[in-house]
Amino acid sequence: MKGYFKYFRNKFFWFVVTLIFAFLLNFLLPRLMPGDPVAAITAKIAQGSTSIETVKEVYKEYEQLFGTDKPISQQFVLYVRNVFNGDFGTSFTQYPRKVSSIIGSSLGWTLALQLPAILVGWIIGNVLGALAAYVKKGWDKVVMPVAIFVNNLPAFGLAVIMLVIFAVQLKWFPTSGGYGFDLIPSFTPNFIKSVLVHYQLPFWTLVLIAIGGQAIGMRSMSIYELNADYVKYARFMGVPDGKIIGYVFRNAMLPQVTGLALALGTMVGGSLVAETIFSYPGLGSTILSAVMGSDYPLISAATLIVTMMVLAFNFLIEIIYGLIDPRIKAAQSD
Amino acid sequence: MGKVMLEVKELTTKYITRFKEDVYAVDHVSLKVEEGKSLGIAGESGCGKSTLALSLMGYYFPPLYYTSGDIIIDGRNISGMEPDDIRKTILGREIAYIPQAAMNALNPTGKVINFIEDVVRAHDSKITKAEVYEMASERFNLLGLPPSTLERYPVELSGGMKQRTVIAISVILGPKVLIADEPSSALDVTSQKMVIRMLMDLMEKQVIKSMIFITHELPLLYNVTDDIMVMYAGQMVERGTAQQTVFDPLHPYSKGLMGSIIVPESGSRGVRLTAIPGTPPNLKKPPFGCRFAERCRYVTPECIVRQVEPVETSNNRMYRCIFSEEYLRKAYANE
Repeated sequence: MKGYFKYFRNKFFWFVVTLIFAFLLNFLLPRLMPGDPVAAITAKIAQGSTSIETVKEVYKEYEQLFGTDKPISQQFVLYVRNVFNGDFGTSFTQYPRKVSSIIGSSLGWTLALQLPAILVGWIIGNVLGALAAYVKKGWDKVVMPVAIFVNNLPAFGLAVIMLVIFAVQLKWFPTSGGYGFDLIPSFTPNFIKSVLVHYQLPFWTLVLIAIGGQAIGMRSMSIYELNADYVKYARFMGVPDGKIIGYVFRNAMLPQVTGLALALGTMVGGSLVAETIFSYPGLGSTILSAVMGSDYPLISAATLIVTMMVLAFNFLIEIIYGLIDPRIKAAQSD
Repeated sequence: MGKVMLEVKELTTKYITRFKEDVYAVDHVSLKVEEGKSLGIAGESGCGKSTLALSLMGYYFPPLYYTSGDIIIDGRNISGMEPDDIRKTILGREIAYIPQAAMNALNPTGKVINFIEDVVRAHDSKITKAEVYEMASERFNLLGLPPSTLERYPVELSGGMKQRTVIAISVILGPKVLIADEPSSALDVTSQKMVIRMLMDLMEKQVIKSMIFITHELPLLYNVTDDIMVMYAGQMVERGTAQQTVFDPLHPYSKGLMGSIIVPESGSRGVRLTAIPGTPPNLKKPPFGCRFAERCRYVTPECIVRQVEPVETSNNRMYRCIFSEEYLRKAYANE
C-alpha cells in the first residue's frame, strides 16, 4: 500500500501542475484571437448614433465593465479571483446574461444527451468487439466491416444521413431542437414527451459513432490477448475455457477503460457537431456561438469546464488503473 | 526395466496454414520413457521439437491437428479420448507442460495463487481455498521458493523466479510426465543452474515420475537427461543414451550436430568445431528420400530415391540412415 500511496501522490502532483497550466491557457488563448468584441457590442448599441463622442463614451463604459482596458496580467488576477468566487463574468454576446446562467442552462442538456450515449455505445461496442474476436467465423466478417464503416463516417455525415432518412423522409422524428418550439421547459407530460422524441436522433447518432470505435479497439485487444502465452499455458494445465476467457477479457478491457474515461472527459464539449446539426440546446451549440462572437468570458468558462472534466477523468482513471493493473503499480513504485 | 510412464507410437501431427497447406512437423515419432528416467530431445530450430512437446499432450487446437499414432500414459491410451476429457483428467494431472517463454506464461493481472486455484479447481472442484493455499505453499517450500511468492503478481517476480514459479505450478498436481520445452534458454547461467537443479530435485523427490526435456543446448542435455533423441525435419533421426548420442553419434546429422558444439569434458580442448552446411527442408513438401540427404556429406543417389526407415541396433539404439553402423563408424574415423 506504501507503493500505491507514492503512486497516488505522484499522479496528484501532476494533476495540479496540469490544471494550473490549463487555467492559464484557458484565459490567454481566447484573448489572443483577432477582433475586438467590445467594439462589436458598441457598434450594435450605438447603431444610428452619429455622434463620435457618444460612441466613444459607450465604448469606454463597456471597456470598464468587462475590464478590457486594464493590462492583461491584471485581468488575469481579476479573472482568477472571480472564478474562485464562482463568478465567470458577464457574457459579451448575450449581454447582460451571466455566463454561469448560460452554461447552467445548456450543460444539463449536453450531459443528458452525452452520458447515456457514451455509456450505451461503449457497452454495446465492447460486447460486439469481444464477440467478434472470440466467435470469429461469420460474425467477425459482419461486425468488423460494419464497425469500420461506421467509425470512419464523419460525425456530421452520419448525423445528416440520419436526419434525411428518419426526419425528412420517414418523418418519425423532428429535424431539430431539444423540444417543440411551441413549448416552455416544464415538467409536464407533454413537454417530456416532446423532449424524448427530439432526443432520439442525436442520441443514436452518438451511440453509433461510439460503437464503431469501441468495437474495433476491443476486437484487436481481445485477439491479441487470446493469442498470449498465458492462454496457451492455462489451457495445457487444464484450466476450463470459462476461466481463461475471464483472464483475457479483463486484460483486453484495460485500454478500453482509458477510452471510456477520455470519452467522458471530453463529453461536455465533444458533441459540437451533433448538437449543431440537430440544433440541440447543449453546450456544444453554446461554445460555437461564443467563438463566433469572440465572447471571452463564455469561451473561457466553457473550455475551463471541458478542461477540468478531462483532467478530472484522467486523474480518476490513473487512480483506478493503479488498483486494477498490477503492472502499472509496479512500474511506478520502482 | 522400470515401468513405462509414457509411450508414444508413430505419432504424426500437422499444422494447417491459412492457405490450407499441411505442414508435417511431427512425423511418425515413437518414444518411450520409463519411471524415474528422463529423455532429452535435441535438434535445430524448426525441426519440430516444440511441436512434438505440444503434440505429446494429446490436446490439439488450431493450427495444430492430430493425424495418427498413439500416446499411452502409464498404460492408458489417451489418443482416442474426447478433448474435453483430456483437458479435465489428463492435462496438468497426468502430463504437465513447462512453456518455452515463461516470461508471459502467467496472466499479468492475476496473483500466482489465483492461477494455482484455477488449475487445482479445474481437476477437483470441491477443494477449498485454504486447502489449495496449504498445498501450494508446501510445494513451493519443497522446491525452495518462498511461499510469499504466492501472493505476488507475475510482474513482481524476476525472470528466474518467474520460470521457477511456472515450474512449481506445472507440477502442483504431481504429474506422471513433465514436458519441459526449453525451460532455461531465456535465462542467465545462474538462473539456468537453479532451474536445472529444481528439475532434478523434482525427479529425486518423486514429485514427477518422468521427464521430457527439450532444448537445443546439447551439453546441458548430456548433463540432465538419461537418454537423448535427435530430431531433424519432423522425424527422429537417432535415439540412444546420453553418453552414446553425444560421444558416439551414428547418424551423420547427429555427428554434425555434436561436432558443432563444445561439451565441457577432458580432451575437448583441441577439437575443431564444424558446421553443417545448408538449411533444413521445407516441411510443406518434405523430400521423399532421406530428409537430411541434401546436406549430408556421405550422400549417395540411393538416399534420395529410397524412403529411409529407422534401424534398431543391438544395444537398444536407433538411427535412421541407409548405411550400416560399421560403414558410418569407418567413415567418421577416416576424417
